[in-house]
Amino acid sequence: MATDIQISIVGSAGDGTIAAGEILRSALAGMGYKVISFDVYPPEIRGFGKCIARMRITTEQAYSLKNKSDVLISLDDSHAIPHAGEVRECGAVIYERGSIVQLPEGGHISAHIGPGQLPYPVPIRELSEKSTGANRSRNIVVLGFLAGLLSLPAEAFRKAIGRKFKSKAAAAEASEAAFKAGLDLAAQTFKLDDVMFGPPVSTVVAGATVEMINGNAAVVRGALDAGIDTFFGYPITPATSIMERLASEMPKRGARLLQTEDEISAISATIGAGFAGARAATSTSGPGLALMAEMLGLGVIAEVPSVVFVSQRGGPSTGMPTKTEQSDLHMAVYGGHGDAPRIVIAPTNVDGCYRCGGKAFEMAEAYQTPVIVLLDLYLSNRYETVVFPSRPPFEADCNRKPGKLQAGEQYKRFALTGDLISPRAIPGEKGGMHVITGLEHNELGRPNDQAQMHEAMSRKRHEKLKAALRHPDFTHYKRFGDEGQVDVGLISWGSTFGECLEAMYKARGEGIRCAAMKVVMLSPFPTHGVAAFMNDCKQVLVPELNYQGQFANLLQAHVAKPVTRLNRVPGEPMKVEDILEEIRRLAGRGKTAQKAA
Amino acid sequence: MAETAKSARHHVVVGSGVAGFQAAETLRERDPDSRITILTLSRLLFYKRYDLPKVFRGSRDWREFLVHPAEFYRDRRIGMRRASHVANVDSRRKVITLDHKEEIRFDTLLVASGGRAYLPEELAEFRPLMHNFGSYEDAITMAKALPERGHAIMLGGDMIGLDLARTLIDTQHRVTLVAGPHTFWPHEVGESERPALVATLEKMGIEVIEGADTGGIASIEQGARGFSARRVLFKDGTEIAGDVVMPFFGLMPSVEFMLGSGVDIERGLLVSPGLRTTDESIYAAGDVCQIWSDAERRYRFYYGWKNVRAMGDLAARNITGSSDPWVPAQDEKLHISGDGRIQSPFWEYE
Repeated sequence: MATDIQISIVGSAGDGTIAAGEILRSALAGMGYKVISFDVYPPEIRGFGKCIARMRITTEQAYSLKNKSDVLISLDDSHAIPHAGEVRECGAVIYERGSIVQLPEGGHISAHIGPGQLPYPVPIRELSEKSTGANRSRNIVVLGFLAGLLSLPAEAFRKAIGRKFKSKAAAAEASEAAFKAGLDLAAQTFKLDDVMFGPPVSTVVAGATVEMINGNAAVVRGALDAGIDTFFGYPITPATSIMERLASEMPKRGARLLQTEDEISAISATIGAGFAGARAATSTSGPGLALMAEMLGLGVIAEVPSVVFVSQRGGPSTGMPTKTEQSDLHMAVYGGHGDAPRIVIAPTNVDGCYRCGGKAFEMAEAYQTPVIVLLDLYLSNRYETVVFPSRPPFEADCNRKPGKLQAGEQYKRFALTGDLISPRAIPGEKGGMHVITGLEHNELGRPNDQAQMHEAMSRKRHEKLKAALRHPDFTHYKRFGDEGQVDVGLISWGSTFGECLEAMYKARGEGIRCAAMKVVMLSPFPTHGVAAFMNDCKQVLVPELNYQGQFANLLQAHVAKPVTRLNRVPGEPMKVEDILEEIRRLAGRGKTAQKAA
Repeated sequence: MAETAKSARHHVVVGSGVAGFQAAETLRERDPDSRITILTLSRLLFYKRYDLPKVFRGSRDWREFLVHPAEFYRDRRIGMRRASHVANVDSRRKVITLDHKEEIRFDTLLVASGGRAYLPEELAEFRPLMHNFGSYEDAITMAKALPERGHAIMLGGDMIGLDLARTLIDTQHRVTLVAGPHTFWPHEVGESERPALVATLEKMGIEVIEGADTGGIASIEQGARGFSARRVLFKDGTEIAGDVVMPFFGLMPSVEFMLGSGVDIERGLLVSPGLRTTDESIYAAGDVCQIWSDAERRYRFYYGWKNVRAMGDLAARNITGSSDPWVPAQDEKLHISGDGRIQSPFWEYE
């Protein structure tokens, strides 16, 4: 029996909602299931604000979360009530049986459980207090109840709890007691829902390792495997955990990390370190990227390798720091003054985060330019089971070294070579003495604002990047689904591609000829491959999480074929059903199409 | 789901059995703009409790027992508050308080909370060793505990139990009935009629032990490993072993939550022939109420599926403006048919 179950835990900040989700997905991944998970949390640290830990557990690879959950666990009814309708028919709603305060009608989640859903009232608080003497372990009580209800092996949960609280003996002990209390209650509870786990299927190849990891952690792992030397950063949601993880890992490898006073310092120091020959990076979100724009221009004109990890959030300005959005694409590709081309890559899943996290350093070195890795909050925080290869798939050194100079020959840092990529000497290298500047310059790096030189150098900075479209062992774009001519083709980027893929497969299941393309390399744009795909499509649909249709704009700047835009800005991942409905409409199927007819 | 319209009358029905469900349907027909909320302890939608013996004929999925699918409730805007325990009814404020402290205002209240299995006090300590059969969950639990061709020991033997016994015998199980005054409840069986009825039970294949009753039971024990799961020990030193022990001593009205409401209660809620309690906004129907009988000059219970459904319908009609009196919908006589089978009107249902 194939497993495809989605579980949502909803609570208030401080309820342990996210921690419960962490333990649950760790336990399930440990059992061998594939897990895709996304947490939603409020900007406030504690006391109020909604937290959601949502995960989809499968035996086959899933690409996105489902619209409907199979199980909803409420740790706080005031936050969970709006999500009661997201539980499918015959799914389970697990909630606190009692209340410590008087409630108006409708104030308890039981008032919102639909006739097709199955209620499971549990004395969560009482069990927590009885088993641990406090109500802080309510989240673990529900995990015990869930494990018992779904007949999941308790040992996997105990191990996951042990991992979570390995340095907190008292918390581990209380959690064990709370877990048992929930488990015991489940043993006396009559199961009515039809949520069933099938056996997990192992697809791990020899030598590889499987880990449950989120996008930011995967980026970090990619950077580490690519040999990052130096990192400068300033914390900002949702990119902070990149710096936090690197801070604990880099010193172990003799690498250095410094928290700077702001984003301008961070990018300046990163470019400085890149100039000095280090594999250097910084991380930020939209507001930080805006501050970095001027220095990115320096990185472009001075042709200094540097990597910027950008995790997008709802904007503009402070916007919605804990909500996801894909609205910094214009900023990443075009942001800044002057003609400042840069490489922008955007992974579409957590595995892609690992690969882009490492490949970015190769590209920065190989094409001597800043590389932006564009994530978004959904991808940064999304957990997936990722299979890591036994050996890191990254080149340790992609620098084009200067050859031996002829007698009397002067080293030209910005030599106009055939492919327009110049040999790059690292400061201190014998015979490689040179200057760099933010001023327009000649091949030696000396200031020169002659028209001819500016034309030549502008061309160099743009045209050299075309080689990045052939960068080895990198998926610049990829087509999925039906081959040849299709009725509807989806083109998408970033985290939204998972929803597109899911919708595309569902549409095919309905008999619609359909294909989807993910575009990872956003700048320079892989026009040829994308245009070929679009030529195969009667209709092209571009779903993305921004209002303007930023990717669609980019696409249409390169390929002159009309597209249908599907733009949403809910602060949450796009709904598969919305995309599917649009596919149906474009294919002349379904309710919407009938209505239009 | 909680509805948002506040202007319409709010009819609350406590109980989702035959009476409560019928009342909700009639209320919807007669008062289309009203809010209707059913509060029930059950975690399932209204299902055919009378069909539960079918679990021994292979029906194990609760969906097979549902009277209507979920859409029915959505279409008719009947709110189902399942797993909801009413703690208190304040008739003055017209407010129901649920166990979890949620307050629900009502304009009219129909109490149709039915009855729960009665267990004589002297057997209460053995409750954990017995299997009930009052709900779907009970039925499945009991069915899992009773092996193929297993032996069920039935204490009391009310008509619900005897209905189950018929199915158990049909499905190759062994049934021993420890008979007593509750046998044939709610039929009132005279001393002269009893021997023939008991003989009919035996002819059906039920082993009947007369004279032991509850007072004769010394204890019920867990059977030793490898042997039968339960033993019933009698005070005369004899014992019987079986796989399950089931009490069938009739029903007890579920009225505890009404104790502070101010309405008159004897064993059940006392209602007029129009099914109204002593509070003008509160009605009762089904196994929970005792109806005033002008003919008999006493309050009395009426049982059976047809009666209960008719009560639900009548209460709803009277809540919505009628003033009809109660007329029993079925007789209450226990018969032995020509071919020697027991025929009870309480076993007739649609």
